[in-house]
Amino acid sequence: MAVVPFHRVNVLTGIKASRIIEDPVQCADLILKARRPLLVLGAKLIEWSVDGKLALEYALDIARAARIPACGTAHVKGKMVELGVSPDSVYDVVEIVNALKDPDWRGVKKEGNHDLVIFLGVRSDLEEQCLSVLKHFAYKHLRTMTLDKYYFPHANYSLPNFKKDEQWGGFLEELMANLRKER
Amino acid sequence: MAEVVKELTRKEKEIRELIRAEIPWEPVGPTPMPEIADLRSWDMRLLKTYKPWYAPFCDLCCLCTYGKCDLSQGRRGACGLDIATQQARIILLACLMGCSAHAAHGGHILEHLIEKYGADKKIDMGTYIELEAPNIRTVTGLKPETLGDLKTVIEYVYKEITHLLDSTHFGQEGSYLDYESKALHASMLDHVGMEVADIAQIVGFNFPTSVADTPLVDMGWASVDESKPVILLVGHNPATSTTIIDYLRENDLYDKVEVAGICCTALETTRYSDRAKIVGPLSRQLFYVRTGIADVIVTDEQCIRTDMPIEADNVDSRVIATLDKAMYGLEDATDWDTEEIVKQMVEDKKHFAILNTKKAAEVAAKVALKIAPQRKKRWITEEEAIELAKKCTNCGICERVCPNLINIGDGITELAKGSFDLIKEQFNQCIGCGKCEQECPNKVPIFKIMQVAASKETWKIRAGRGPVMDTEIRNVGAPITLGTIPGVLAFVGCSNYPDIDDVADMVYEFARRKYIVTLTGCAAMAAGMKKFENGKTVYELFPPEFDAGGVLNVGSCVSNAHISGAAIKIANIFAALPLRANYEVMADYVFNRVGACGVAWGAMSQKAASIGTGFNRLGIPVLLGPHSSKYRRLYLSRKEEDDWTVMDARKREIVDSGEPSPEHLAYVCETKEKAMVMIPKLCIRKNDTPQGRSIKLNHYISLYKKYMGGGLPEDVHLFIRRDADIPLVYKKEVRAYLKEIDWQPKEPVGLPTLIGTYPTKVPLDAVIH
Repeated sequence: MAVVPFHRVNVLTGIKASRIIEDPVQCADLILKARRPLLVLGAKLIEWSVDGKLALEYALDIARAARIPACGTAHVKGKMVELGVSPDSVYDVVEIVNALKDPDWRGVKKEGNHDLVIFLGVRSDLEEQCLSVLKHFAYKHLRTMTLDKYYFPHANYSLPNFKKDEQWGGFLEELMANLRKER
Repeated sequence: MAEVVKELTRKEKEIRELIRAEIPWEPVGPTPMPEIADLRSWDMRLLKTYKPWYAPFCDLCCLCTYGKCDLSQGRRGACGLDIATQQARIILLACLMGCSAHAAHGGHILEHLIEKYGADKKIDMGTYIELEAPNIRTVTGLKPETLGDLKTVIEYVYKEITHLLDSTHFGQEGSYLDYESKALHASMLDHVGMEVADIAQIVGFNFPTSVADTPLVDMGWASVDESKPVILLVGHNPATSTTIIDYLRENDLYDKVEVAGICCTALETTRYSDRAKIVGPLSRQLFYVRTGIADVIVTDEQCIRTDMPIEADNVDSRVIATLDKAMYGLEDATDWDTEEIVKQMVEDKKHFAILNTKKAAEVAAKVALKIAPQRKKRWITEEEAIELAKKCTNCGICERVCPNLINIGDGITELAKGSFDLIKEQFNQCIGCGKCEQECPNKVPIFKIMQVAASKETWKIRAGRGPVMDTEIRNVGAPITLGTIPGVLAFVGCSNYPDIDDVADMVYEFARRKYIVTLTGCAAMAAGMKKFENGKTVYELFPPEFDAGGVLNVGSCVSNAHISGAAIKIANIFAALPLRANYEVMADYVFNRVGACGVAWGAMSQKAASIGTGFNRLGIPVLLGPHSSKYRRLYLSRKEEDDWTVMDARKREIVDSGEPSPEHLAYVCETKEKAMVMIPKLCIRKNDTPQGRSIKLNHYISLYKKYMGGGLPEDVHLFIRRDADIPLVYKKEVRAYLKEIDWQPKEPVGLPTLIGTYPTKVPLDAVIH
């Protein structure tokens, strides 16, 4: 059965839908297999929290566990600095996507373009549109993943719609554990 | 070498006749009444740096019966089109919808006024405006003197729209860049159509002109006296609304009836009568209609609920559709006896289409007066709202269908417990689409409940002032082009905001920083819906002049042409460059030297797409809110990799400036905070003097520090040419950073221009003034 995206109005799509990742182990494998992954952090991470833990902190823990460079979009950098972390790069989300679609871009570490980009916390309409850009114009060199609590059909890999934030938080915790273990 | 005198073609002769080329108010430039391909080279030059960024909404094309065609992963449709070209085609269609809406609006107003006053009625824009029609003169080469001349202009626009629309048919254009060039053409024409419409309105309805200090008028639904009969005007076209005011005045009824408006007709009506009330922007339409406060709803065109008769039935209001573009399947009573229409509307509760403005006005007034005493109008009480809210199970369906991502169920269940704080916050974020209520499985009347969250405050907004005066341009031309006025901002477009307070916050921030802030349409209303110090709105706090720190409500959507017109006026009046049929020279000047930036934070409609894209062709970047990624196309550069070469016209040399200014032409920001940082950057121009650049960088750096957690912008070095560009207050910090990255100074470009960097008929001398 087709999956209906969470924000239906913003995220309706065409015929190529993403693969749902429900197993944190499988998710960790996909991330760790990537040679040059990148984590793109959106402004919703400053608003969302699970069990009193700010979603941005989950994101930064994931970046640390998998040793993935983090790109702060919108005004996320301010909060990251407050949490004592400097982003590896600062771009707005449309800018980083614009760069990612160029196979010859050198990436945020100047080591070559990324082969996996993981989105987390960009508002759903904008995130789905950005995933669409990459789906259509970067499909030859880049895979996309989202770790948001909603399903995003334009990604290559997406988490499902979680009924409760705690389930999502639990997934992220398990993901981190597996990333640390396998790393 | 002897000059080759080219013989005029029949078509060129015809155009020269239409624009009265023999009258030498200025020499006729290279592109009078340009057709699709005439400005294509300019477009391609812009698109070389600002490449289209496409975000397809879906994978398919379903526009013909060969499809649906899957266009994903490099596939082409049955016609040969790829996904990028399909997106550009959709963008062109959107821009054409927008352009045609304004052009047809202008055409209708012209017909209405020519019928009333004759085609020879003179255009007079007042004492301080000699350059009455900068867009029309620049694009067509005609200096319009009468309403009849405006008709000539609008017929040119109609013709171009037909050709452009033709290109979207199956099996036509096959290049996304050419579709973009066509979208830019359509959108340039949109500014011409808007200018026609607003000049006609100013001339025909005596709207304010040659004045800055227009009256402060009341806004907010609490400003409407619901104890009186209420006529609600919805849409954009003031032909009927002004006639209603006339009817009420002539029949001594104006004290007895409230006239209120939503969206641009509201703004237009307050330009005609400062006693008319503005309910609010488009996002408040469905809320207000569902209160049932309006006895008679008069619709005209654009951005009106297409189910208005159904909504009106639900609250026992009556609808009169006054324009043929939106007749809702209603019976056309234009030729009926007035009393019979009134009788059927009052007794049988019927709605009608009445396409005669005088008759519609008379019927609206008579019906409102008759039915108002019989109708029960009141706001829901808090107790009633709490009772209704108890039906909500917080199942979350409302959140899933909300385009603005609001979890309304949380607000409603909080309200059911007696707490109103969250629902009030959500009301400010609500864009008024009504999807939540439609999908609610428990039939919770969310909009009705939200009445208790709606602010009963009233606000002051300045009535739309129309064009920027020539005298104002003479005063600010130098500081704008030198950069000492840090920028001219245009807050435009619809009310699809993440939060309605965002616009007021941005206007306040930049007016305080001495930017010139112009506003139109729903953005102009939203800016007035927040009170700052001493309970004053931005219209009360800041002066209304086109000068540093001024906040100007220019008017409605069609008044956007006065903002692009002001940019052209700077090139023509201040820099003395001829504008007649000289679009490339005007656009090149604006692009390189006028630090202007559009902010369409809540852009939603197709008109907003064409308004913004029209600004883009004129070289003005536009920053959009997050919803606007749904337009599917942006124009982005990649600052460290793209082509920033310009011609230095003084040295006659092509130079690589290395400076990404302006950095993007159409750009989406996710948050207000980031927008605050991007706006000053998008006002940077290569022509800035060291003093001007230092002022602009001061704002860029200080806003970056305020919203991005301190430090320096990652790209600040790209905008520093020499030490003198560095703001004094940040000298030490910036110098240390520049040393760290081994920055090298570079020579500012003496007279930057794109002319000479791409194939064009325009000689380099044309941009030297």
